Amino acid sequence: MKSMNERKNRMLQDVLSGKKRLFETGTHTELRGQKNRNRRVILLNGDVTGNVRSDVSGVSARVYRNGVYGFSSMAEYSADAAETVLRAATENADFMDKNAGAGKPALPVIPATQLPKPADIHDPAQKIYVDFAREVDAYIAKKYPGLTSRRVIATEDSMEKTLITSDGMDGHFIAPRSYLYVFLTAETNSGAPVDLFRAFGGKGTFDLNFTDASAICPQIDELYEQLMQKREGIYADAGEKTVILDGMMTGMLSHEAVGHTVEADLVLGGSVAAHNLGKTVASEIVSLTDFAHTAFGEACPLPVYMDDEGTEARDVPLIENGILTGYMNSRESAQHFGVEPGGNARAWMFSDEPLIRMRNTAVHPGKDKLEDMIASVDDGYYLINSGNGQADTTGEFMFGVTMGYEIKNGKIGKALLDTTISGVAFEMLKTVDMVSDTMVWCSSGFCGKKQPMPVGMGGPALRCRVKIGGR
Amino acid sequence: MDRMNQLAQEILKEAKKQGAEYAQCSVSESEKKEFNVDGGRFSLMRTLFNRNVVITVLKDQRKGIVQINRFDADAVNTAVKDAIAAAESGKPDPAWQFAEGPVEKEFTDGEPVCDTEKLFMRTKELLEDIGKKHPKILMEQMITEHDSGRKVFMTTNGVTYRTHSGAYSFSLMYSAHEGEKATSFYGSDVTLKKLDRPVIDCAFIERDLAMVENQLDPIAVKGKFVGPAVLAPYALAEIALGTIMGNFASDSCLIDGTSIWKDKLGEEVADPSFSMSFEPYSEDVVVPERYTGEGYLTENFDLIRDGKLVSFALSQYGANKTGGKRAGNSGANMKVAPGNKTLEEIVAGIDKGILVMRFSGGQPAPSGEFSGVAKNSFLIENGKITSALSETMISGSVPEMLRQIRGISSDVLKDGSDSVPYIAFDGITISGT
Repeated sequence: MKSMNERKNRMLQDVLSGKKRLFETGTHTELRGQKNRNRRVILLNGDVTGNVRSDVSGVSARVYRNGVYGFSSMAEYSADAAETVLRAATENADFMDKNAGAGKPALPVIPATQLPKPADIHDPAQKIYVDFAREVDAYIAKKYPGLTSRRVIATEDSMEKTLITSDGMDGHFIAPRSYLYVFLTAETNSGAPVDLFRAFGGKGTFDLNFTDASAICPQIDELYEQLMQKREGIYADAGEKTVILDGMMTGMLSHEAVGHTVEADLVLGGSVAAHNLGKTVASEIVSLTDFAHTAFGEACPLPVYMDDEGTEARDVPLIENGILTGYMNSRESAQHFGVEPGGNARAWMFSDEPLIRMRNTAVHPGKDKLEDMIASVDDGYYLINSGNGQADTTGEFMFGVTMGYEIKNGKIGKALLDTTISGVAFEMLKTVDMVSDTMVWCSSGFCGKKQPMPVGMGGPALRCRVKIGGR
Repeated sequence: MDRMNQLAQEILKEAKKQGAEYAQCSVSESEKKEFNVDGGRFSLMRTLFNRNVVITVLKDQRKGIVQINRFDADAVNTAVKDAIAAAESGKPDPAWQFAEGPVEKEFTDGEPVCDTEKLFMRTKELLEDIGKKHPKILMEQMITEHDSGRKVFMTTNGVTYRTHSGAYSFSLMYSAHEGEKATSFYGSDVTLKKLDRPVIDCAFIERDLAMVENQLDPIAVKGKFVGPAVLAPYALAEIALGTIMGNFASDSCLIDGTSIWKDKLGEEVADPSFSMSFEPYSEDVVVPERYTGEGYLTENFDLIRDGKLVSFALSQYGANKTGGKRAGNSGANMKVAPGNKTLEEIVAGIDKGILVMRFSGGQPAPSGEFSGVAKNSFLIENGKITSALSETMISGSVPEMLRQIRGISSDVLKDGSDSVPYIAFDGITISGT
């Protein structure tokens, strides 16, 4: 049966390693072949409104010359295309060096190593995505006929890369991830629509992550219950409040409010972290790390073993016991700051150059029990889920809150309608006075910079003070 | 173009052979030249050569779409098979409908040929102009580029369009700095057909740089009050215009019935001074949308005229699902009608309020309620813009706001795609410390 529902997804063959002889001696050069595949099925109230498969591949080269880069890419994965982009990237590097050269020294050399070759991956047929989404949709339609609308999205995106560098790590790796998103909408008594969504899944192909629809039905029931509570929800009272941020919100905070400000390119662009290295930016019970592939003894949601500059990935501690200890770097920014790069330079498509990106960014768990934390709040909010978040280079952040409850006298009260929280990261983190011993990870979204990028984020629950929007 | 034509014909033939009752494909080749500035200095030059093939098939009223970026026979044949297999795995839906032919058109838009030296020169000049005129501005990132492409769109209904287009675009992200003081970042974008004048003089770039440079000493709003907010074009687009399209007027919210405007066609939904249209054929648009994804030739259309909802932004599929009418385009090239007062005149009529240049907020609820942070904003007191503001939250309801318009500016941001003025709204909740 299986052979009818999947076909071999031919892996990228090695056509690049022979081209290393064309690299200019003493010039940092990267040659990368890449394939991105995306599968997406959208069911809107049972209708298949989206049914898309996408396979995009090609080759790119990047050449460093005295402080500037030249880059080129082609939508063709072949030995000829590799030579063409190497030539074009070199020409671009020469143009930049001649017209805007920074006169910087060569990048420090990294010893050459090789990442072990990955196992092959298979390619589930579109029918597998459609059938699973329809099964989940049918469950919701039958059990909850009163909903205004329901949307079920089954998706997979994967990156496969082969990287050849002048110095550093060469490798061939594959990173598939797959998710099922469920969106439910209902109406309040006054006819105003309210909605909620939840994402299921993580790393791995769709057919391996989703084998049994009944396994996620209890979580859909829970989502429905939360939606019914939100229907009767209240507006948050605007102002600064004591809140318990649940792990998902802490992950968003780690990524948006702190992570971006300590990306070295943004530090050089004037972020608040430029003036705070070595200073206290959080209470001493807060530590935060950008994990490469393993955290607290377990695999990260989206493990990264090497980056697209050939740097072997290692953990990058950002805040240790409240002190800002480091930035995330590319090879070039690491040279600027006089540190070792940690493997944060990553590219999304074959036609993208590596940028400094987070991998799996999380606050470390603490010692408090979540129930004690909630019981300790007289008048505040328990904020569970966020739809989106944005941060400023000043450390100011904003998250949409899609699910939360008021806390009155230590007890959970009414659900909240959609609201927003905001603050200044390095001020707000100093107000953290309780950290739970639990850990929640999330990996279903994309981080947006110049390019999208899959990232993991997570953390424990935090008790802190933030500004909340009301009506 | 001949090669792409031939490929398109082969794809349609193969799709028909494999049982598709309808097929369409878009075959394109594109080239990008790009310069990057990071932290105020040139960092990168890129040259990208890309291809794209998108195949859409309908089989037994079931739709499948496949996208690849290869032109070779193996890849294309596999893509057609995959599109058919995707369609076969779906569910019949009689609402799918596509443009009927015969129709054959060719379009050339913008500036398809890149002058790389001039693009670099204008980029360097822009950096130097900013350094001279706005020394406190630090360019976090600037991306300047020329994108060009040729595309063949062909369907089994006898529709063929060939386009050849190109444009220059400048995207700036910056903040102001003085010692350890820094402002929030701000972004300015513009798309141009020609590089015939300094870029700092285009769109609102110069005005925006000056505004951001004046935000280094912000104060906090005390307490909470309900008052007027003047939304600058980017904030207006983020808060109100995006919500109108995403939550009230487009396919998804009308098909699933969550739009609160679903029964309001022909009714007044905004102040009579407010009109919003989509006009690809406006002279301010550099590269117009020529046809929709369903193959229909585009035309301008009004969404809201003099406060009345006169149309939805429905595709043919959305129209068939809801019993509505297909809109003239797919919601491209938005235009909000200007008013007759300058920004200064609008501000002069406000005793206490704020000017919001950028909005950082949560996804607005389906009801149009929103809350978020007013970024790069100023306090308005006694008819004048006084101080920059730190950390100010605003909240409100888009449908209520639209009925409480206080003034629309005659100055309009034209960025080569959209035309949007400043609008002052009453009834916004503004909360500081």
